[in-house]
Amino acid sequence: MKNSIYNIKVLACLFVFGLLTYSCSDFEKFELPESGSIEDATPPSANFSFTQGELDAFLTYSFSNESASATMFAWTFSDGGSSTETDPKYTFPSVGTYTVSLTATDALGAESTYSEDIDVVEPEEPEAIVPVILESSFEDNALPDGTGDGRDSWRISGRTIFGITSGGSNFHTGNQGAKFEVAPEDRLGYQEVAITPNTDYKLIGYYKFKSSPDGGMITLGIVGGSHSDPDDAEAAIFASVQGGDLSSGDETNGYHKLELAFNSGANDIVGIWIDSNDMTEVRVDDISIELVE
Amino acid sequence: MKKINYIASFCLLFLLVSCSDDFLEPVPTSAISGASFFSTEAQLETAVVNMYDGIQGVNALELTSSNLNHAVQVEFYLTEMRSDNTRTKSSEGEAAQFESYTIESTNGIVDDYYRSFYNVIFRANTVLENLGVASEETAMAFEAEAKFVRAYAHFNLVRLFGDIPMVDKIVRVSESDVQYVRVAKETIYDFIISDLQTAIDGLDNSSVNRASKAAAQALLAKVYLTTGDNYTEAQVLCESIMGGSYALETDFKDVFYNESNSEVIFSVGYAPDNVNDSQNFSAEWLNAVGRTAGVNYVTTEARMALDEMGGNRTPLSYRQDALQPTQYQVVKYLPNGDESLDIDATSNDPTSAGNDWIVIRYADVLLMHVEAILAGGQTTSVSAALNSFQQVRNRAGLTDAVSSITKQMLLDERRVELAFENHRFYDLVRFGVAQDVLSEFSSANGYSFSGTDLLLPIPQREINLSNGLLNQNPGY
Repeated sequence: MKNSIYNIKVLACLFVFGLLTYSCSDFEKFELPESGSIEDATPPSANFSFTQGELDAFLTYSFSNESASATMFAWTFSDGGSSTETDPKYTFPSVGTYTVSLTATDALGAESTYSEDIDVVEPEEPEAIVPVILESSFEDNALPDGTGDGRDSWRISGRTIFGITSGGSNFHTGNQGAKFEVAPEDRLGYQEVAITPNTDYKLIGYYKFKSSPDGGMITLGIVGGSHSDPDDAEAAIFASVQGGDLSSGDETNGYHKLELAFNSGANDIVGIWIDSNDMTEVRVDDISIELVE
Repeated sequence: MKKINYIASFCLLFLLVSCSDDFLEPVPTSAISGASFFSTEAQLETAVVNMYDGIQGVNALELTSSNLNHAVQVEFYLTEMRSDNTRTKSSEGEAAQFESYTIESTNGIVDDYYRSFYNVIFRANTVLENLGVASEETAMAFEAEAKFVRAYAHFNLVRLFGDIPMVDKIVRVSESDVQYVRVAKETIYDFIISDLQTAIDGLDNSSVNRASKAAAQALLAKVYLTTGDNYTEAQVLCESIMGGSYALETDFKDVFYNESNSEVIFSVGYAPDNVNDSQNFSAEWLNAVGRTAGVNYVTTEARMALDEMGGNRTPLSYRQDALQPTQYQVVKYLPNGDESLDIDATSNDPTSAGNDWIVIRYADVLLMHVEAILAGGQTTSVSAALNSFQQVRNRAGLTDAVSSITKQMLLDERRVELAFENHRFYDLVRFGVAQDVLSEFSSANGYSFSGTDLLLPIPQREINLSNGLLNQNPGY
């Protein structure tokens, strides 16, 4: 009896002891990590951006360091230069392509490198666009692909295109000119061209009226922006000039010259508008737009 | 016995089917709950007004709890004091981090602005989600207003922080991909542009303290000038505003001290001596009137620029601090007036000021017109640009004719015209000269500017909440 109770006690003690040992077996989590045993979760990463200097200083570039987690920086430039500043300014010797390399290091000695090629060019003032006017002289087959009846570039849906005059002294240059007859005919010429905004230009055209009847007027206008509806286009005319001289002009074949100076304003596209008041038959030829220096 | 069983079970069955869901969950009639509030147009209008209340921010001297949102009232720390225009009077506290370019990610003012404007975005999205309760016409107007406010908030945040979370709907707590994922700047700008285009279509010019068509056009022009890819459209927008009824005030003083003047296009409204709707930034800019000893004090460089190029704007832009004659204060938003300048006090209590904060005014539009025509080039002599530029200068008393405008001239004119109106920092960045100008300013004054200081740090609180999703800007 005593023996069995004793055995039970021993077993119970052994059991509790075993339980305790088992439950306290993972002491590792209380150990401190050794130096260098956990990886750096934020190694350095190098990065930079740059801006070119202005006007005469176009060879000098300012670099903006965008690296993360780094304490020391070493820049190398492919022409042999180097720097250890954070945000250096560097002057290249001449135009050309250079490679700029940034090595960012942190206090643990980990490195990261980032390189970029820079194309150093002298910035040019962009040339103003001289608009290209198709069929400006209303000749046959004058389109770039060799086709065209002299009027195809001037059509707009909703209005009737002008006629063609040819032969004798009816045109200014070439073989043909545009013809605007009297009422009930109501003809229109309209073409859109690309242009540089805020630039001074001059629209030039030539006209000649038939000798009678009186009262004829030809209008050359500039339409702001691109429009597919002729009424919207007419409402958007911001510069125009009119010619009403029925006498014989000083230009070739008795033509008169019309000029209209205008500034393209806030438009990348303008339309050229040619319209007659349909009272006297008039011919128009040689439309051009020039830059005003 | 059996009969009672039948009756009992029948009664029980009856009871079971008679209780509908709503019976146990009635809609509260004496209290308002967010989920059911917006059911009439009048209630939706309160949400619209609430957006502007969010932008207005809280007067920290009236409602002193530090966890409230101060929104535009603390914007000057992040813009003027980070530029070469202003600084703290005595390098105090967190505010000094801005002038010395030692901003930490734990900066409370940065956190304040960030959470204020995301709260404003939430208020705008609340309006947009409840448009159904308004009539078609009013819904269009409210949608335009909400999208203007949402675009305005995103525009400020993207310019200050770089890539930011883009919030185009009401976000639930579980949607961590919207709250903590930084979307690329280009996408944010596309979003801002689309919101502003909707705003322009739906607004008119009937209000100054609420969104208007001209305000949306001016803001969109500024966005195009910032992204630098559509100068022609910016010019068209400016010309559209210029064809309207806004005009420069003849007296520069009237711009700031005559509340219904014709030059202001959009301003944040404040009411004087009012607990809920006043502002305290006017007081903070004075010597120990607000909670600080004095912030937004004028730097030597700004004074020199104003003395040289300000014309008659100079005495109305800065003045000597009467209590500390070596220091200089801003004059544009004085709450307690200035006898020598003939400016009346705008409120009885200077800590509870009613000066409206001007966000966009006509002079800015004229100078943006010049910037749009300049189109990133170095000089221009287009007559439309000279005209706009001359108008601003003529008002300042600088009537000698200008025959060509260079980029530097435009930058200088913007500095002296719009001094202390939270434009300088953005102007420097937009013109691409921020790093050069600010590093020179920093070395002259012993500060520590580096290229990464052009962006603010994402607030540490947000990074902690994001559980590793948000990454910090370089350099912080």
